Amino acid sequence: MNREEAPGKSPEDMYIQQKVRVLLMLKKMGSNLTPSEEAFLRNYAGVVHSQMSQLPQHNIDQGAEDVVTAFSRSETEDRRQ
Amino acid sequence: LSAVSEADSMIKVAEWQQTYYASDSGIHSGATTVRDDESSTDYSGRKKWHYHISKESSYIITSIFPESQLDLDTQFSLTRAQRVRAAMFPETLVEGEAAMPVQPDPTQQSNVQRLAEPSHLLKTAIVHLINYQDDELATRAVPELTKLLADDDPVVVNKAAMIVNQLTRKEASRRVLVQSPAVVGAVVRAMTVAADMETTRCTASVLHSLSHQKEGLLAIFKSGGIPALVRMLSSPVESVLFYAITTLHNLLLHQEGAKMAVRLADGLQRMVPLLKKSNPKFLAITTDCLQLLSYGNQESKLIILANGGPESLVFIMRNYNYEKLLWTTSRVLKVLSVCPSNKPAIVEAGGMQALGQHLTGSSQRLIQNCLWTLRNLSDAATKQEGLDGLLQILVTQLGSDDVNMLTCATGILSNLTCNNSRNKTLVTQFGGVEALIHAVLRAGEKEDVAEPAVCALRHLTSRHQDAELAQNAVRLHYGIPAIIKLLGQPHYWPIVKATVGLIRNLALCPANQAPLRETGAIPRLVNLLLKAHQDTQRHASSAQQTYQDGVRMEEIVEGCTGALHIMARAPINRGEIAGMQTIPLFVQLLYSYVENVKRVAAGVLCELALDKQSAELIDAEGASAPLMELLHSNNEGIATYAAAVLFRISEDKSSDYRKRVSVELTHSLFKHDPAAWEMAHSAVPLEHTYLADELDASYPPYGYAELPLDTLPLDPELHEAYIPDMTYDPTLRPVFSREQFPLL
Repeated sequence: MNREEAPGKSPEDMYIQQKVRVLLMLKKMGSNLTPSEEAFLRNYAGVVHSQMSQLPQHNIDQGAEDVVTAFSRSETEDRRQ
Repeated sequence: LSAVSEADSMIKVAEWQQTYYASDSGIHSGATTVRDDESSTDYSGRKKWHYHISKESSYIITSIFPESQLDLDTQFSLTRAQRVRAAMFPETLVEGEAAMPVQPDPTQQSNVQRLAEPSHLLKTAIVHLINYQDDELATRAVPELTKLLADDDPVVVNKAAMIVNQLTRKEASRRVLVQSPAVVGAVVRAMTVAADMETTRCTASVLHSLSHQKEGLLAIFKSGGIPALVRMLSSPVESVLFYAITTLHNLLLHQEGAKMAVRLADGLQRMVPLLKKSNPKFLAITTDCLQLLSYGNQESKLIILANGGPESLVFIMRNYNYEKLLWTTSRVLKVLSVCPSNKPAIVEAGGMQALGQHLTGSSQRLIQNCLWTLRNLSDAATKQEGLDGLLQILVTQLGSDDVNMLTCATGILSNLTCNNSRNKTLVTQFGGVEALIHAVLRAGEKEDVAEPAVCALRHLTSRHQDAELAQNAVRLHYGIPAIIKLLGQPHYWPIVKATVGLIRNLALCPANQAPLRETGAIPRLVNLLLKAHQDTQRHASSAQQTYQDGVRMEEIVEGCTGALHIMARAPINRGEIAGMQTIPLFVQLLYSYVENVKRVAAGVLCELALDKQSAELIDAEGASAPLMELLHSNNEGIATYAAAVLFRISEDKSSDYRKRVSVELTHSLFKHDPAAWEMAHSAVPLEHTYLADELDASYPPYGYAELPLDTLPLDPELHEAYIPDMTYDPTLRPVFSREQFPLL
């Protein structure tokens, strides 16, 4: 059953909405879902549809950031040629 | 005496006259302006000298041109010294050394008589000094010259300067000069006050000649020559500039104390503008001076920066071909490249591109200097554009066997691919992955090569359009075994840290999961994790962060767990990871004070919880409490993983438990508000609805307890029958709580 969002929705609606959001976020981050979780999303396709547009648009790569190495720590002198 | 024939003498003088006339035009005019005023005692002595020269001209003529009717024996009975002394200082003749009379033959005139100029006689005396190398005479002449150099009459000074200049041309007379600080000082002063360019040029030339001997350098240094020479750097006369810079160069090279003196005399401020000149040899000397002055001296480097040094130096690298100049300039840039203020200026002036122009020539010393400089600059150049050509050359250089070249190429590539998706894509397309793998294989024990190479591979395997290509390329070029090997003992922690980060990225590619597992990545990662974690526990009580090889063990914990998290996406790997009894440790890590550690721990638990058995283990370890806490995290990743784990471990739990989870979620930042997500991502702290302490107590009251089961959502899971003995017991605490390990 598709549920529409409305302000002041019931706790169960909130729960569904939150769970859908969590599962969509998981997918966005590259994680796997259980078969029942996939089924949950199929069940609440309408909620999924509305939640998709509200997910953060930026890339959520969870890997560590690149970091530069400061090589210029000390001066070295070459032989005068 | 017999060695000097008449003919030789004549030839010598004729030749000398020619060269002298060719190079100089002053003495003629100078000579005729000698004053006749005899009233002033100051001048009288000197005048007398000149006068006597004129008067005694006949003697000199006699000695050089014995074609007169003088008796040869008489002529040669006086020593050379006596003859010239007689000519120059007749008053000093001792008894018995009679001045030789001349019986001029009116029918015959000597060559010099024919010239009939007093100046020629002066020159002739100099010929004696030069050709016959009489030390005693030189010693007498020198004090005289010293006085003349200080004369008020600029013409006199000019003449004296020219004489001194001539004296410097011959070794013996030069040696006499350098041993007289007085005359060197007089030259310096004459140079400083000279009104005419010719005197300036001449005196500068003198100092230049003297600067080729140690004694000369010392004499110049002691006489205040350095400030005077620095002033000459502002001269509009090119030859003066040349003499000045070359002399200063010799001083900087060989005279102790010269560097400090040049700096004190504001030498740098005068030299940097000279970089705009166009003579390559002049520029080479100037840049070498700058290098000598600024090596190891931070203040000098800042002065060069303040005077526009970086721009001028980069201009030279871009526009000249003279190898020596390019080499000296690259050395200055190398010296400046370790200065945090100069670095960005050099990069902004196009230094990376300019240095990159010279990596494929034939001068090894130039290539190496450019590479070291590029390496130093590279961490300030991650946002530079137009480095395509440089990147390609560097990838090619990864094939070198020269360890210096490899060290630089890997280091520069590592930094230039840092957070720069365009550079990452370019390097991948240039075949960088394969080249870097070969560099790792060839590096062996050399950490200076291996570490940046692995970092570069780590950069290439994430966060750009060809990341997946790069991840596959590592496997296809047989990189995985070589990379896993880097985790072995002895541990060099910076390499271990870079390698686990690379493994994490490689595991993003599903095709890599099996090869990684098969080469034993999982046990190695788990063992490293245990070792690092134990280390952090050991130091937990001291509240001190410990570093090993400059790496904190918390970073290793984070890196290994992060790699295991991604590897756990493959079902077989999940089983192997859980099978190594890692779940209790991961649950413990949820209490870490390091946010990234919490994230990767929640992440790996999230993947492991896909397996029912693991989910139960996770629950049995008391993960619920810290996970509930993590629902409130500002970090959306953490909150998501925490929620997912709770969902997965609550599948078989009571509805009350599931309700609890949903309430926590509802009251967390997972609000129906996209802005809240964005804010969470930008780490703006928001108020927590629930405080941590409340979780340890009994259930906080919430308003949904009276909801009958049949009004719960149509989620099939939630319609499962309530099982009394699976109620969540809040009094069951996790084995390791935050109070016990506050510093986790």
